[in-house]
Amino acid sequence: MKKALVGSLIILGLGLFGLVGAAETYTVASDTTWPPFEWADASGNLLGFDLDVVRCIGVLQGFDVDIMSYDWDIIFDDVGVGRVDIGASGATIRPDREEKVDFSDPYWTSDQAILVRGDSGLNIVIALSQGHTVGAQVGTTGAGFIEGLIDAGVDVALQEYTLYPLAVLDLINGNIDAVIQDEPASLASANAEEDLALVGVILTNENFGFFVAEGDPEGLLPLINAGVKQLKEIGAYDNLAAAYMGTDLEKVEAAWAASIGLLDAGDVEGFAAQMAALANE
Amino acid sequence: MTTIVQTLELLITRGLPTTILLTLGLLGTGLLLGFPIAFTQVYGYRPLRWLCRGYEQLFRGIPALVLILLFHSGLARTFGILLPAFTSALLALGLRSSAYQSQIFRGAIQSVSSGQMLAARSIGMSKLQAIRYIILPQAFRLSIPPWTNEYSSILKDTSLASAIGVLELMEQAEKIYTRIQFTLGARYILLILGIVAFVYLILTYAGNAGLNLLENRLRIPGFEMKGKVER
Repeated sequence: MKKALVGSLIILGLGLFGLVGAAETYTVASDTTWPPFEWADASGNLLGFDLDVVRCIGVLQGFDVDIMSYDWDIIFDDVGVGRVDIGASGATIRPDREEKVDFSDPYWTSDQAILVRGDSGLNIVIALSQGHTVGAQVGTTGAGFIEGLIDAGVDVALQEYTLYPLAVLDLINGNIDAVIQDEPASLASANAEEDLALVGVILTNENFGFFVAEGDPEGLLPLINAGVKQLKEIGAYDNLAAAYMGTDLEKVEAAWAASIGLLDAGDVEGFAAQMAALANE
Repeated sequence: MTTIVQTLELLITRGLPTTILLTLGLLGTGLLLGFPIAFTQVYGYRPLRWLCRGYEQLFRGIPALVLILLFHSGLARTFGILLPAFTSALLALGLRSSAYQSQIFRGAIQSVSSGQMLAARSIGMSKLQAIRYIILPQAFRLSIPPWTNEYSSILKDTSLASAIGVLELMEQAEKIYTRIQFTLGARYILLILGIVAFVYLILTYAGNAGLNLLENRLRIPGFEMKGKVER
């Protein structure tokens, strides 16, 4: 009887200690269909520039992250009402989005690029005019750019898709003339397909931001901003960029599988450095 | 070839359980709600019948995708009710299925020949007894073929849950092919879609085969679906 009492008190104590000692866990929503910023590898692990930056910020600022795949169409609504704590999905900071969510300071600048079929002979100016059809994902800044052209009276048509790969497929099949999407993904597509070529970059200078619920009820934005700053100071930010931008997808996945143990152990610098080294060899 | 195996493995281990769970949940919800509604529509008082008809018109008239989004984002924005994605999909599609299933059961009950009720009453059964012992068992048998249809329909409707991020077959397929476009090329998207289609085909076939077996077990020759016997 006495042993059982002492035993259960010890277990209770350990449990309470675990509760107090455990770090806060925040849920992160991401449309994991967009390499190299966020995607799922063949085993289902979620990786990408955005996701690893968030994970590193978590380690540096002392909180755990639980990353969930989310559909792009509802990501702003759901983070906005607080169903998920943080959004990390290559989201450009835009006024209409700021009505639903609060953005962090910019953590990445991106431009749009135009993909065409290599044998079509189109350059960037012609591809975006003379009655051609350009494909883009619904609700993206690329789609918004083409809509702006249409409003300005340019003779171009917009074809919207739920996901970018479907636009790329249509381009290959000849249903549309060009695809507009962010530069890193466009580069990756051009590298993966022999018949596609990147014919130009539009310097839209978009700023990506992480986002949280309106009013930031959990006080996450200061943590995120401080974390990004820290990452840049210790050089991990540049290493992660070198690992993810313009590299071969399967190499990055292998690098991540080999290096994630370092991050789990709390070594942000080592993780980023090894990622950069392995992904670029 | 390894891609095909890998894809199947991912689909079956990650997407399939949720699809099956959702399908069974929808059939159950639809049955639980649909049967009382059908019963009320056939035997209830007029105001109740009108209510049921209104319910049925509402949930059959709104596209499934719109219903899902209304339950998930609409409830959250307007009333602050936050449901997990799976629950939203289950509720939205479940209510819709109950509307369809209520029509299946209503049709089955009404197509049991009215001579049966007459005969039952004439040997002294009360209306309720007649319904319970004579009409409903026959109606049950008659409702299996259209219910098999409902199963097929619901199975495909579960793919709409991917719109709110439920990790079922279609969502898992999206994850796979957005990665494949960079490792193998965008043309392989069609391969992935073909594999997903195949999985849905197998599921539909298996379900239908099972339900057909049930139908054959319960069949009584001469008592199939007939029109109302005129007196």
